[in-house]
Amino acid sequence: MISTFKLVFSNVKFIGISLLIFIPMLVVLLTISEYIFFEPYVISHIPQGSEFGFTLIVILSVLSAIVIPMNIYRINMLKISKQKMGGGVFGSIIGAAAGACSCGPIGFAVISTFGSVGATATAFLTNYEIPIRIIAIAILAVTYFTTVKSLKIECKLDPSS
Amino acid sequence: MNKKPVIIGVLAISIIAVIAASFSAPSETVNLDMSRTHGTISTAMGSAILGDPSAPITIIEFGDYQCHQCYNWFHNTKPTITRDYIETGKANMIFVDLAFLGRDSPIAAQATYCAEDQDMYWEYHDMLYGAQESQIDNGWANSERLKAFAFSLGLDMELFESCLDSGKYSKRVQYNSQQARENGVRGTPGFFIVGPNGQQEQIGGAQPYPVFKEIMDSMVL
Repeated sequence: MISTFKLVFSNVKFIGISLLIFIPMLVVLLTISEYIFFEPYVISHIPQGSEFGFTLIVILSVLSAIVIPMNIYRINMLKISKQKMGGGVFGSIIGAAAGACSCGPIGFAVISTFGSVGATATAFLTNYEIPIRIIAIAILAVTYFTTVKSLKIECKLDPSS
Repeated sequence: MNKKPVIIGVLAISIIAVIAASFSAPSETVNLDMSRTHGTISTAMGSAILGDPSAPITIIEFGDYQCHQCYNWFHNTKPTITRDYIETGKANMIFVDLAFLGRDSPIAAQATYCAEDQDMYWEYHDMLYGAQESQIDNGWANSERLKAFAFSLGLDMELFESCLDSGKYSKRVQYNSQQARENGVRGTPGFFIVGPNGQQEQIGGAQPYPVFKEIMDSMVL
């Protein structure tokens, strides 16, 4: 597993891709979930009782930053079909959507635009924010293991390594 | 024709009608200062002022009783602001509804004004934020629960129920939400800090105490 990880991230290009996913995703998710504020001052803040939500966002961002570059590696370096890219992207998107639509500007815009349908959708995403993020993390974890497995087979790595 | 019985009858009916009206109409009076503004915001339809009305700084919160970030701010930041600024007379506070999150949000906001009719606005407000549940529209703020909160505060239930069921404050809550939109509030909680010289600073979201302290201190120095 480690050798597969090293295989992908020994290439500086993929470290760059990973950082390009991790940093914006973490900053955007922490901002819309109100852990970071930019106005009127730049300040970070973890309210009491919100520590678990913060941890899930960090895990989600780390997993996305690992799984998506590994899949890009498979597609680019091994010229394999894009089919398996879906799990990583899907997991990242649903994880990001959860909690984005609460009482903040995104939820307000959605409800103002779509009325009661928007309100129902945002209420669902807010009410089930934590379970949705856990499901997203599970999808990313499964995608990670299947990617590692297929890389081992496709790159003919020693399965015991 | 003897008109005397007719006149007596009319008088009797009139007296009965007046007495009946005085008993049936609850004393639901709305004492609003329609000219009340703070900065660019009309707070006329907002809450009663918490703290000293002549305090140099006014904090205006736009909020929704079902908003979890409002709950976070209420429990994590507001107590320190209350202790350091409101109780010391440096600032006062007004809550203005931006009830948009779910179907129970407007009625919860209306219920606070029904409590205000009995001089219990802030007690009821605090009770709602104390009782908020994590799921929107799961029934914690429906009409029955709102009445139960009123009962537990010892409010006159006949007055409260007639107020809530009649939708007496529906327009007031709508007006407040409109004020939020007109002033560029795009989510809850949203704050405006209005200083002694009319300076106005907007804060979006459940920001921590140091942000409020920095702004308020800069306004009075």
